[in-house]
Amino acid sequence: MKTIEVPALARVEGEGGLYIGLDNGKAVEIRLDIYEPPRFFEGFLRDRFLQEVPDITARICGICPVAYQMSSAFALENALGIKIAPQVRALRRLMYCGEYIESHALHIYLLQAPDLLGKESAFEVAAIAPDVVKNALRLKKIGNEILKAIGGRSVHPVNVCIGGFYQWPDARPLKVLLPELEWGLQAALDCVKWAVTLPYPELEIDYEFVALHHPNEYGIIEGEVWSSKGRKLSIADYEKGYIEEHVKHSNALHGHTVDGDTYQVGPIARLNINHEQLLPNAQKALKENKIKLPIKNPYKSLIARAVELVQAYEEAIQLVQAYKPEGPAHVDLKLKAGEGAGATEAPRGLLYHRYQIDDHGLIKFAKITPPTAQNLPRIEADLFQLAPKIVKMPEAEATLTAEHLVRSYDPCISCATHFLKLNVEEKGK
Amino acid sequence: MKVTVIGIGQSLRGDDAAGLDAVRQWQDEYPVTASRPEVHAEASELPGLALIDLLNDTDAAVIVDAVKSSAEPGTIHRLNADDLSAFTPDAQSAHGWGVAETLQLGCQLYPSLKNLPIRLVGIEAEQMTVGSGLSPALSKAMLAVCDTIENEVQTLLCK
Repeated sequence: MKTIEVPALARVEGEGGLYIGLDNGKAVEIRLDIYEPPRFFEGFLRDRFLQEVPDITARICGICPVAYQMSSAFALENALGIKIAPQVRALRRLMYCGEYIESHALHIYLLQAPDLLGKESAFEVAAIAPDVVKNALRLKKIGNEILKAIGGRSVHPVNVCIGGFYQWPDARPLKVLLPELEWGLQAALDCVKWAVTLPYPELEIDYEFVALHHPNEYGIIEGEVWSSKGRKLSIADYEKGYIEEHVKHSNALHGHTVDGDTYQVGPIARLNINHEQLLPNAQKALKENKIKLPIKNPYKSLIARAVELVQAYEEAIQLVQAYKPEGPAHVDLKLKAGEGAGATEAPRGLLYHRYQIDDHGLIKFAKITPPTAQNLPRIEADLFQLAPKIVKMPEAEATLTAEHLVRSYDPCISCATHFLKLNVEEKGK
Repeated sequence: MKVTVIGIGQSLRGDDAAGLDAVRQWQDEYPVTASRPEVHAEASELPGLALIDLLNDTDAAVIVDAVKSSAEPGTIHRLNADDLSAFTPDAQSAHGWGVAETLQLGCQLYPSLKNLPIRLVGIEAEQMTVGSGLSPALSKAMLAVCDTIENEVQTLLCK
């Protein structure tokens, strides 16, 4: 029997345990155990007034609070039949740009790059390339500044409401960011050039990718739920194609298609499905760096994030330049009983919300499907494919390769402690 | 000299909110100090790596955060930045990048931070489970925490 234990994996968000059972060199059991808070939040929301929902659900995650605000706002606006103003929509996309920038910069440089550079941590990367890490922090800070300018603070911003924003943010704090945004765009283009040179482990998988698609823009908010296998659903019909179920070893639900198949959400899925909607600089980054689509190697999610970093900076510049608040910042609510669904693309993938409300606007039912719950069975399936390679590796390398695969999904397990125990057990030895 | 008082924590994670609550209460208890132009207060949920930016923008800092060691809940720890490693092996940080790791990375990237006067006021937590409100022992300790913050700020202002 062979056991490998990693007492603390510091580059994923949250806590969980990984068990790999091997028999005669073949993986017979793989479990990724996860403890996620969204189940509790669905309970917290019951009988709360709908206007509280964006700020409560934002607390599910410290890295992607905007995603929770956006999906809940769109879902509840759909329940009330509200149509938001064009400038509100643009400002929401700008907030999302801020979140993509900070989340992707963190993951690219500080969470996944150490694996690809053969380093144990960001500290080791900082030791050999301090300027790279300083640039990463500067890139990330610009994302934080966007959120602060719109939402009052960079973590858990508070300005989003059902119907729009509580108030228009001042234009000046946004406009003064333009020189930094221009710098960030160039730095992001350089990031793509660097990303394609990294030594990614070989692994090609025929995934089913699922992402929001919008014909006129890179799919982040609104649109349809598209699958690389051809399934196209409206957001309201999401649950007709994708369902969740309990599995014995995980507090988090596991998502799969109605046919019982695993699927992948996140940056690779978005890029593969929506690359035609990328803005010119992001298109140029794809072309000049000869990035072949579809990407099928999970480790290359770093490349997809780098391209999306360009996209986020490019779009942020456009949206800041065009920002012109006019008229009311939010629609007055006319409460009525109803049901609504909303989906947006969190940095880690599709985030679906559905709510039922009563005549007084109180939440009677809430369903939240986070991206990591959808990816969990897919990560386990990937590890099954990786297992034959792991068996032949020295213990330390096997552990690192499996951890790296999990990390490449950027799982947002929870906002709590981050511990992942890897236990590889060889049966019959 | 600019002194920044930084409260760190999460308001929906039990005693992890102690740092945030303490800084806000200190502003109420000591309005004269808190309103001085050279004194800044930040109630910073989940600052993560942005803590480096806050430290790069000040001459001295008092960081107030919940900590977990083997002490009695509500115990007040007064530490220097160098002492933080004592809390890292089993640290139950809910902030992604913990304070100790962030300080280490900050000092590695910006050597000038090594000379920045930083004091940490740690409040021993009892529970950091999901939900709002502090444990009774921590609620009881809050006034003493405010006094400690005030003392640290005054000491730094006199430097």
